[in-house]
Amino acid sequence: MRRRAAVASVIASAGVVLAGIQIGAAVTAARTTTTTSGTGTSSGSGSTSNSGSSTGSSSGTTGSTGSTGSTGSAKDGTFKGQTAQTPFGPMQVAVVISGGKITDVKVLQETNQGGRSVQISNQADPMLRSEVLQAQSANVSTIGGATYTSEGYLQSLQSALDQAGFTG
Amino acid sequence: MHATFETMGTVVSLEWNGDDRALRAVRTVFEEADRRFSLYRPDSELSRVADGSLELVDAGSELREVYATALGWRGETGGAFTPHRPDGAIDLNGIVKAWAMAGAGRALGDGDWCLNVGGDVLVSGQTASGAPWVVGIVDPADRTALLIAVPLVGGRRAAATSGSAERGDHIWTRGRESAEFVQVTVAADDIVTADVLATAIVSGGAATLGDLTGLFDVDVLTVDRDGGLRATPGMRELVAG
Repeated sequence: MRRRAAVASVIASAGVVLAGIQIGAAVTAARTTTTTSGTGTSSGSGSTSNSGSSTGSSSGTTGSTGSTGSTGSAKDGTFKGQTAQTPFGPMQVAVVISGGKITDVKVLQETNQGGRSVQISNQADPMLRSEVLQAQSANVSTIGGATYTSEGYLQSLQSALDQAGFTG
Repeated sequence: MHATFETMGTVVSLEWNGDDRALRAVRTVFEEADRRFSLYRPDSELSRVADGSLELVDAGSELREVYATALGWRGETGGAFTPHRPDGAIDLNGIVKAWAMAGAGRALGDGDWCLNVGGDVLVSGQTASGAPWVVGIVDPADRTALLIAVPLVGGRRAAATSGSAERGDHIWTRGRESAEFVQVTVAADDIVTADVLATAIVSGGAATLGDLTGLFDVDVLTVDRDGGLRATPGMRELVAG
């Protein structure tokens, strides 16, 4: 739960990341004090006491696709945070701002503990069908799919399994 | 043993190692849920709440509990999952089936069983041959083919799949004419989480996918409209066996 709360805070405080705060500091702050107030709509406000060096500009970030307009409203684009050491390893995130709102938070540099142990790394990435072709020949026990109705059931693969009296 | 029966507009398929009492208990759970929550039954408790003849505060504790649970999920998913129709009427269809499945799972207990309700799956233990239960996920573009096989291991007991392929646009998408994902499968430790999040991701699209995979301990597979797949690291691990 603590990690989930920390992750929630990281996302909630992505606006603070924009201001160049190291993500590790944000995580630590989220654990030990309170959540930060950034909502992502007030870019680089530097309004929290955690910010240290922030002055409202996007110092410490790299607007890889962003415009260079003045502050006052959130700039659109993708903004990288600094790589930071966290208890889970090095981590770097980027926030995507569109229309003044955060639309995505991406993990650019995953920690060295993969998988579900670090949930901020739990991002869905493209997977090639060729990676899963062996599924066709797998010995499945049951069939999952977008909800079928009583009528749809008769045309379903599950129906075929059931008619075959399939037992595990 | 193996049995199938119809309930709540769909079909239950149960594979279990036990006697008829277990099956009767499962049937009872779904029949009660159907009586209470099905909107196609004008006399169901939820229908009477929906048409105003029964005040929500006078409804049974079970209905209020499910509604409260659904409202909690609305908050946790930032509104991507909601127990309301666009006109404001309460519609608990998005959660009742999974909620009933969880109840059936409690009735079945800790043995070896596999419960499939309309393509959503909850399991316990292992197959008769001692292998993990493996859920084959259908390809939304070809319903006679499997897209992927997901073994439910490592605490994962549930896999729910939502999409727009079977029941048309039964999931309301927010601010778009059609869903970004035609099918979303979520594997989780419990069926309500899996089902709610699958629904929410279909509804909210890529932005919601990014949010929810970061917040919840789930494994997700999505299918884009062009057939492209996306998978979380945990899903890749499951698929790799």
